[in-house]
Amino acid sequence: MILKFELNQENRNLCGLKENEEIFYCLPLDLDFSGNYRKNSYLVVTDNRILILEEGFLTGDYPLEMWDCVKSEAGIGCGIVYGERKGEKVLLGRFSAKHQVRYSYLFRGVQILKQGRKEKVISPEYEKSCQKCGRALPGTSRCPKCGGKKEGLLYTFLEMVRPHKKMMAVILLLMFGATVVTLVDPAIRGYLVDDVLLREEKDYGAAVLCLLGMFLMSVGIVVINAAKSYLCTKLGSMISEDQRKKLFERIQMLSLSFINDRSPGELMNRIMWDTMRIKEFVGNVFCNMFTVAILFICVVIYMLVLNYKLAILAFLLVPVCVVVAMSVRRKIRTVFHIQGMKSDKVNENLQDVISGIAEVKSYGQETREAGRFERNTEELAKIQRANEIFFAVFYPTLGFLLGAGTYLVTFFGGREVLLGDMTPGRLLQFISYTSLLYQYVGWLTNTPRALMNLITSLERIGDVLNQEPSIRDGEDAVFHKVKGEIEFCNASFGYKSYQPVLEGVNLKVKPGEMIGFVGASGTGKSTMINLIMHLYEVDDGCLLVDGIDIRKIKLENYHSQIGVVLQENFLFSGTILNNIRFARPKATYEEVVRAAKMANAHDFICKTPDGYNTYVGENGHNLSGGERQRIAIARAILCDPAILILDEATASLDTESEYLIQQALGRLREGRTTFAIAHRLSTLKDADRLVVIDGHKIAEVGSHEELMKQQGIYYGLVQAQLQMQNRNKDLYAEIQ
Amino acid sequence: MEEFQLEQMEQETEAMLRIRYLKDGDAVFEKVGNGFLSLCLGEEYYPRVNVVRMFPFSDSQKFISIRNAEEKQEEIGIIEDLDTMSPKKKEMLLEQLSLRYFTPVILKVRNIKDEYGYSYWDVVTDRGECKFTVKMGGKSISHLSEERVLIMDIDENRFEIPDVSKMTPAERKKLDLFL
Repeated sequence: MILKFELNQENRNLCGLKENEEIFYCLPLDLDFSGNYRKNSYLVVTDNRILILEEGFLTGDYPLEMWDCVKSEAGIGCGIVYGERKGEKVLLGRFSAKHQVRYSYLFRGVQILKQGRKEKVISPEYEKSCQKCGRALPGTSRCPKCGGKKEGLLYTFLEMVRPHKKMMAVILLLMFGATVVTLVDPAIRGYLVDDVLLREEKDYGAAVLCLLGMFLMSVGIVVINAAKSYLCTKLGSMISEDQRKKLFERIQMLSLSFINDRSPGELMNRIMWDTMRIKEFVGNVFCNMFTVAILFICVVIYMLVLNYKLAILAFLLVPVCVVVAMSVRRKIRTVFHIQGMKSDKVNENLQDVISGIAEVKSYGQETREAGRFERNTEELAKIQRANEIFFAVFYPTLGFLLGAGTYLVTFFGGREVLLGDMTPGRLLQFISYTSLLYQYVGWLTNTPRALMNLITSLERIGDVLNQEPSIRDGEDAVFHKVKGEIEFCNASFGYKSYQPVLEGVNLKVKPGEMIGFVGASGTGKSTMINLIMHLYEVDDGCLLVDGIDIRKIKLENYHSQIGVVLQENFLFSGTILNNIRFARPKATYEEVVRAAKMANAHDFICKTPDGYNTYVGENGHNLSGGERQRIAIARAILCDPAILILDEATASLDTESEYLIQQALGRLREGRTTFAIAHRLSTLKDADRLVVIDGHKIAEVGSHEELMKQQGIYYGLVQAQLQMQNRNKDLYAEIQ
Repeated sequence: MEEFQLEQMEQETEAMLRIRYLKDGDAVFEKVGNGFLSLCLGEEYYPRVNVVRMFPFSDSQKFISIRNAEEKQEEIGIIEDLDTMSPKKKEMLLEQLSLRYFTPVILKVRNIKDEYGYSYWDVVTDRGECKFTVKMGGKSISHLSEERVLIMDIDENRFEIPDVSKMTPAERKKLDLFL
C-alpha cells in the first residue's frame, strides 16, 4: 500500500522543506473534525517534523522529537490519528476507513525516524483499488485492466497452451473446417434453387447431388462441432489441471506469512475457481472465437459481393442488434441476481433453524420461526413466478426482434427478385448469411466480458505463481542430522514490519533438554516456536541448530526431524492408520502399533469397529479431543523427531485423558529436545528450564525452584494459579 | 502480593457486573487535547474517555457507554439518555460520537455501474459527494429493516440509506440490483 502520496507543488511549498529534509510519509486526512469529506489535506512526516496540511493551508508544524509517539485509532467507518507527549494525547487529524491500514504503519515509521534511522516502513498489503482507473483490484498487486501489459497476458495464455501444441493444431484445423462448411452450405442451397430447380430442363441427378451435398454438410458440421467441443473441453481441463498443480505446489512452497495473509477460502478459490474459469474460457469461448471471427468477416465480404445494397441494409440493423443483446444480458443478470439473493435468504433461514433446532425447540419458538420461513419462501415463490412469466414472454420477443432484420432483408430482397434484379437462390443464400451475421453479433457482444474474466483469473493465478517464497533453501543448504541443540543469538522478529514480537532474544538449549515457555498470551511464546520450526525466519540476529545457521539446513530435511503436538491437531480425511503414518508412509504395522501403544492410543483404536482402518472425516469428527490428541502423539512418535514441540498439548482435555496424554508425552520426550507451551503451569513441572517471555524479551530463565526463589513474574503466575486451585478446592469441599 | 492479585480480579468482576448510570450532576466532562474528552466523576478522574453507542442502529441517542480510553477500556458508566444531559454536555458527547462513528447518509444516487463483480457508486451524502466501490454478492449490503439499508464498501466505509422507499423511481431502479 502507498504510504507516501505525492504532493503537488503548492503543497510542497507550504511544507517549506529545508535542504536535505525528505518527506517519508504522506497520508490523506480526508475527513475534517466535524465529519465532512474534504480533499487536498494531508499529514506529512519528514525526517524531523510532522506537518498538517488542510485544504491549502499549513495548520500544524511540529518537531518530531516533541512527540513520544504518534498513534492511530480505528473508529467505526473512520479513524483518528493523534500524538502523545508525556501521557497527554493531542488529536492531529481524521480519515475515512479507506486509509485505516496506512495509518497503522505510521507509529512504527515515526518511531524509526525518532531513533535517527532512515529506513522506510513498507506495507505489504495490496491497494484495494487501482490508483489509475479506480477499479477494485481482485486481490492482486496489479490492475487486470490497466496495470498488466495485455501482450504479457496473451503470452501467458500461449505459454499455458504450449505443452498441448498438437491438440491445438487439430483444433485450429477443425475451426477452419467449421468455417468452410458453414459458408458453403448456404451456397449449395442457392445453387440448388437457381441452377437446378428453376432450370427449364429437369436434371434430377443434379438435384440429388445437391441434396447429398447439403446432407453431407449438415452431418459434417455436427461432426466437426462435436469434435471441436470435445477437444476444446479437453484442452481446457488439461490447461486448468496444469495450473491447479502449479498453484498447489507454489502455495505449499510459499512461506506461512503469505498464506496467513490470505484466507483459506481465497486460496482455494484461486486453485479451483480461477483455473475453472480458464477451462470455461477455452471450452466455451476460445473454441468458437476464431471460427466466429473468421466467419463474421467472410460473411460480411460474401454479403457485400452478393448484393451490396441489401448488405448495407442488413448492417444498419447490427447496432440495434448489439444494443438489444447487451441490454437483454443485463436484464437477465439482474433478474437472476435478485432471485439468487432471495433464495440465499431462504437457505440462510433454513440453515439457521435446522442447525439451531435445539435452541428453537427449547425456547419454544417454533411458531415464530415457521412464520418467518413462510414469509421468505412466499417472497421467493413470487419472484420465481414473475421471472418465469418474464422469460416465457421474453425469449420469443427477443427472437422476433433479432429476426426483424431478416424480415427486412426478405422484404427488400423479395422485391428485387420480383423485379428480376436478383435470383431467388441468391436471396435464399443471402437470408441465411444475414441470420448467421446476427447470431455472431449477439455472440461477439459477450466476448469482452469473457476476456476480462479470463484476464482477471490469469492475473490472480499469476499473482501466486510469481510470488517468490521468502523462506527457501539457499544454494549452500545442506542435509543435517539434527542432534537437538538450539541457540537464539540476539534474534528479533515481527510478523509485520511495524510490529516487533521478539526483540534481541538470546537462549541456548542443550540437546535433550526440555524447555517450557511461560508468559501471558500474545507475548511471543508461539512465535518462538514458529521460529524454531523454521516456518518464519528471524529479521535480525540468527538462530543456530547444532551450531549451524538454520537457514543453511535444507528445509524439508529439517522439518522431517521435528515432531509437533498442538492443542488442536489437524487430522486429515482418511484412516487412523494413514494419519499416524503421515510423516512416514512406509512405516510397518508393528511400528505403527508400537507408536500407538506409546501414545496410549492403541486401546481406544482397538475399541472402534474398524480398528486402525477407522475413517476419520475432515478434522476427525467422530473422535473426541483426547483421542485426536493421542493420534497426533502417535504420529509424532512414529516420525522419531530430534526436536519435539508441544503447544498447549494438554489444554482442553478432561482429567483422565490429560493423565494418559501426560504419560504418553513423557515417553515421547525421552532423549529429545522439547519445547513446550502451557498455560497450566503444572504441565511444565518436568521441564529442565522455564523461559518467561514478557515485553518482547526473555524476562526470566531457570528451573522451577530457581524462578520461585527470584519471586518475579513466574512466581506471581504460580501463586495466582495456586489460589484459583485452592478456591476451587474450597468450593468442592463446600459442595461435599 | 498474591492476595492482592486475586482481590483485584474479584473487584474488577464485580465492577463489571454493576450498571452505573451517570447523571448530569455527577459527571464533569472537559475537552482536552484538541478534540478528546476527559471525565471527572467525584474523586475519579479519567484523562480520556471513549463514548460508545450500545444500540447504534436501533437507538443512537440512548444507552451510551462511557469507557476509559486506557488499556482495559473498562466501562465507567452509562448515560441512559443523552437528553438528560445539559445541552452543553450533550453537545460535547455528540461531538465525541461523531468522531468515532462515521456513516454518511446517502441523499442522492447519481450513478451505479457494475463491472466484473464490483459495483461503483457515485452518490451525494450529507457529508459531501462521494464515490465508492462495493463488492457484489456477499454481505456488503445489509437490511437493518425493510426500508433501512447499510452499505459497506471494500474499505469498510459505511453508508446508510435511511428509507429506500423515499428514493426517486430512477434511483430505486439503479438500486434494484442490490436490494
